Amino acid sequence: MSDNIRKIMPDNIFAVNIIHRIELTPEYSLKALGKKEDTSQYKEAFDIFRFQQGCAHKYGLKTTIQMTYSSLFVDAAVEEALRDSREYGDEIGVSLLGLPCPEFKKKYKTEDFCIWMFDEETKKSIIDDVFGLFHEKFGFWPESTSSYFLDNVCINYIHEKYPSVKCAVAACWEEGPKAYHTCNNSWYTFLDGGTWNPWIPSKINSHCPASSAGDDAGIVAIPHLSRDLLACFDGNGSNFGTHPQNVLRGMIYYDDNGSVEYPYLYNLVDQYRHLAKYNNGYSYNMMYVGPGWLNKAGRWECPYETLAKSYDDGMKYYGKLKKEGRLLDLTMSEFAGFYREKHPDYKTAECALWKDILYGSDRSLFWYADPSMRCCLDFNQGGAVIDMRPYEGRIPQRVGIGTENVFDASYPYLIQMNYRAGYFTHYAGAGTVKSAKIRFRGEEADLCLTRTAATFERFEGGVKLTTNPVTLVLGGKEIVVQSVFTFREGCASIETERRILSDLGGEEVEIEEYFTGAFGTTEYQRPMDRVSFELDGQKMDYKYKGRYLSTDKRDVKGRVEIPDVYTVIEAEGDSDRMNLQEGIAFSPVFHIRQFKSLKEGAMKTCLRLQKEN
Amino acid sequence: MSQASKGKLNYRCPACFMRDIDMDMFFDPDKKEYYCLRCSFRGSEERVLELNEQARYRYKRLKMRVTDFGEDNEPPVFAEHRRGEQ
Repeated sequence: MSDNIRKIMPDNIFAVNIIHRIELTPEYSLKALGKKEDTSQYKEAFDIFRFQQGCAHKYGLKTTIQMTYSSLFVDAAVEEALRDSREYGDEIGVSLLGLPCPEFKKKYKTEDFCIWMFDEETKKSIIDDVFGLFHEKFGFWPESTSSYFLDNVCINYIHEKYPSVKCAVAACWEEGPKAYHTCNNSWYTFLDGGTWNPWIPSKINSHCPASSAGDDAGIVAIPHLSRDLLACFDGNGSNFGTHPQNVLRGMIYYDDNGSVEYPYLYNLVDQYRHLAKYNNGYSYNMMYVGPGWLNKAGRWECPYETLAKSYDDGMKYYGKLKKEGRLLDLTMSEFAGFYREKHPDYKTAECALWKDILYGSDRSLFWYADPSMRCCLDFNQGGAVIDMRPYEGRIPQRVGIGTENVFDASYPYLIQMNYRAGYFTHYAGAGTVKSAKIRFRGEEADLCLTRTAATFERFEGGVKLTTNPVTLVLGGKEIVVQSVFTFREGCASIETERRILSDLGGEEVEIEEYFTGAFGTTEYQRPMDRVSFELDGQKMDYKYKGRYLSTDKRDVKGRVEIPDVYTVIEAEGDSDRMNLQEGIAFSPVFHIRQFKSLKEGAMKTCLRLQKEN
Repeated sequence: MSQASKGKLNYRCPACFMRDIDMDMFFDPDKKEYYCLRCSFRGSEERVLELNEQARYRYKRLKMRVTDFGEDNEPPVFAEHRRGEQ
């Protein structure tokens, strides 16, 4: 496949998956509109599927059709999928979304519909039913499947029993507490903490990219949406994705003399294309719109005509890019093969230097994900770490009925500036963030208050971000500081260099590199009693008393052990002194601080994550 | 009062939308107004549409098309979006 692709797209490759599912009982139709289930909705949902397929084919694009359990009972749906597959080369896969139908409810006696929320035995039973019925109807096994989320139990079982499956829609980036709140605390898809672009999931935890062939769960996972990596970090994820109706939901359109216009949708697709610059020429995008979003009764203040126009326009733009030789439409299983060819080394990091394209803020974030960690730097805050997920911990989370997490499938954070505050807090307390403070002549400034930008550089085995220098005014003197962040693939570390670029005239500046951390999946801290600290031979267990461990020695390592997330944080560097501090009940966080006084040069530190035990 | 119902097009509460909550409003046929079960907002269709326009205040690039993503450490370059163009 690679040779053919290179002929089409010799430079950057923008791979796109277009996925449609025949969902004959769309939840939005039943719940949002308060309608009772009846056969008219089956027809409507089927018509929507036909419309979506028609849009893609009209613009010369092939799709992956995901048959839902309910659709497998309808011969016309099976025939239609086969016809499109023959005529347009569409792939036919099977979805674990769209489970509810009379047959399902009769057998499982439940209103639940999310595969990852069932108990383990029921998950396997449902997978067998869905895949078995698919084989009965089509006479072959599917090569792709989908859900909002697939945990490692589901993925490992599918790979073991149905090895034909190469690709799965397996998570929805940053769908968690934000989606829950947006939906008036009624939408229980807690799936935060994964990657925004495709990945090969670990056998142990499906959020984590696999670290080796032995850790490879056997499929390529893709996200449910391609989301705005800046707008979705704070706002409602379902407003900012390459899902045209998301853009309508976010009201990111305007009326130009009767024509509904949404340039943001195209800007979003283009920014995904731009990510090729940071990923060795590879970029990705996907569209997976369920039929409920194209409801004939309209949705999000928009009539059906606008919903339909936006979908058509989305396909039209993909089609235009394809025509220009700038887009490669692949089915899901084709994409899996392509992705594996592009990622022969499991450690290759996914990188995104993402720019604001909506708010006019000039803010940029850098997202990094490899098998050992996910991390986000905010250059609007001097390059502060505002999100960190310790994949190195490989947390063997179980989710679903009968486990300790019935619905919360999010991968825990160590830092999440919106859930657990960042630099800014109200009067007391501390927020989770990693940054530095600079002190000179008795005054202090935090680099979180410096708005900058950065350049990206990829080198053998890692990537480096270098900020534009920022100027601090301390004690009447201007001090220019530059930060450099280095990530080495698979090493679970961030090396940070704070360079003093000004001539201090022989005076000393003090740099404090700090990490304020916590752990959890929501805004609320879980008990911290199991956290412990170790520094220069001293040990301390977390007691919420604000106590310190300190040392004035150089070349020592500070350790914070967090068994709840199977992670140890280790800090080292060329500091003069270091302290570790527990939090208090009002501020349940922990602190790692490294200090260095210097007249010139730089301070270099390294923060490393290790698997606990 | 007579029973409220979902209004046409599922208007959401503009006040809740501005705080990132999607609350479909209900329509009171007697008062001919939409109302929110959560935040006590009430208003006519005209008022809802007016506030929905205001809700877009955050989107300074709403009508702009990126023409170049520029250097890493520079903001993207935008141009006015033209009707019907992609």
